[in-house]
Amino acid sequence: MLNIRRIGFRLLLALVMLFGVHHTYADQAKVRVIVNDNVNINALSESRVRWIFSMRQTTWEDGSAIKVYVLHEQDPIHQHFCKNVLGMFPYQLERMWNKLAYSGLGEKPILVDDSQDMIDMVSQEPGAIGYVISGSLPPGMRELKISKEG
Amino acid sequence: MQKNVFLLLFLSSLTFSGLTLAGDLVWHGFGAQGVIQANDSNYINDDGDVSYRLTEVGLNTSYRINQKLRVSAQGIYINGGNRFDEGVRIDYLFLDYQVLNSPRWNINAHFGRYKNYHWLYSATRDVPHTMPSIVLPQSSYFDAFRNASLGSDGISLTAQHLNSLGEWDIRWSYGNTQIKQEQTENLMSVLATGKLKHDFDTQFSVSFSPLGTGLTLGGSFLSAGFSYNAGENDVFIDGEVALERFMLSLSYSAEYWDINAEAMREKTDFQGFFFDQRDADAVAEGLYVQGRLFVSPDVTLLARIDTFDANNRDRNGSAYQQASGGAVPAYFAFRDQLTLGASWDFANNWRIRGEFHKVKGRARLAPVFIPDTVANDSKYWDIWALQIIYWF
Repeated sequence: MLNIRRIGFRLLLALVMLFGVHHTYADQAKVRVIVNDNVNINALSESRVRWIFSMRQTTWEDGSAIKVYVLHEQDPIHQHFCKNVLGMFPYQLERMWNKLAYSGLGEKPILVDDSQDMIDMVSQEPGAIGYVISGSLPPGMRELKISKEG
Repeated sequence: MQKNVFLLLFLSSLTFSGLTLAGDLVWHGFGAQGVIQANDSNYINDDGDVSYRLTEVGLNTSYRINQKLRVSAQGIYINGGNRFDEGVRIDYLFLDYQVLNSPRWNINAHFGRYKNYHWLYSATRDVPHTMPSIVLPQSSYFDAFRNASLGSDGISLTAQHLNSLGEWDIRWSYGNTQIKQEQTENLMSVLATGKLKHDFDTQFSVSFSPLGTGLTLGGSFLSAGFSYNAGENDVFIDGEVALERFMLSLSYSAEYWDINAEAMREKTDFQGFFFDQRDADAVAEGLYVQGRLFVSPDVTLLARIDTFDANNRDRNGSAYQQASGGAVPAYFAFRDQLTLGASWDFANNWRIRGEFHKVKGRARLAPVFIPDTVANDSKYWDIWALQIIYWF
């Protein structure tokens, strides 16, 4: 009886820890949307970010080209970005991009290998937009403030 | 031919490796080879044996001239056995003019050979890794009629809009296609010696994705006109066909599963065509509902039911059989199809998949006007297929 209680307690503890860890991860792993310094905006709504990453908006308000950079579909940062910022699943985005690329309607975003590549490209390429997990940002880029509303 | 296309694809994949090159020229491509069998049927080949006539290869490029202008083109080689005519074709080749691009609107005009963007799977119908299955639901994606529904030569307008309700897609197109002799024979009969023309094709569609719901609802309308000039010793006479199609679509995407469905209603109105002046006018109806389960990031399972009736006033085909004097069985008037499939992405940009179809009825088997009742001598039949796909 005591044993069962002890096992039960340990299971409960394990669950609490699991959720605790999950919660902490979600808190820490804040994805930040970054743009090249020459991009003339400071904030975007989530739906505007989705509009850009689904390649529907291809030019910034001043008429210059938007260059969209993304990590691989299986990359945890990409998955986190899709679900928490874009409000969609990576496979949905992939499907939209495939439709663009294989029907002539548009272009896919530019794929980078890892977060360091992402930072390098966004800081160097005028009009670039991408995302990183929290950390210090080198010169040449800045973070956009993302608002929840439509 | 097939070898050359594969070689071309292989070389280009080595050269470009699928990514953006310096400048504004972008390349993509794909290649797929499969094995398929539709026993007791002429669907793939005349004897119903295992066939390797399941090849799709394509290469596309787009070149951005400036922020407003792009040129886009895709060439494909396909071999689907009896399902459609084998060969190389230009899938699309158009000038894309960006009319408006803003945080709320994206409006483009395409001039040239544009794609059909109106249905769920019409835009990339010959690009295997973008399709849910090897054989598409025939109620909406009728193989023998595919060339006319892939896209047309003309003009296409697409508009995308974002507002507080959600995202909107509005599209309109007007054009026509050239129908080759093999396609005429595939659609009508090998005894059709004349020339079938696709005079015009106009389509309009709207789809709406309410914000934050994962849902997309759509509707489309197609109106097309065909004319036929009978040839020598033809079993058909001169004639015209007016075709109208309404479609409704629904997509819902959850994290580990999705649902896609399309319902269609197609009205055909014949003038002439048949020596016996038979009344071939009909309203056909079809619906498919497809569910997918994403078991892991690499493995997807698929189940789909697809139902089609060639004439909504004669769903069991008894009047159709009677009108043919008993020569064409009633089961050529309907088709119900259950599909089960699985796919596995075993490496980056590589996929292998397999599927099985249990079919009741023989509607939408080519040739349509004079069906092959010898090869298709039973109500029930099966299709199975395996395919390996690479894309870049």
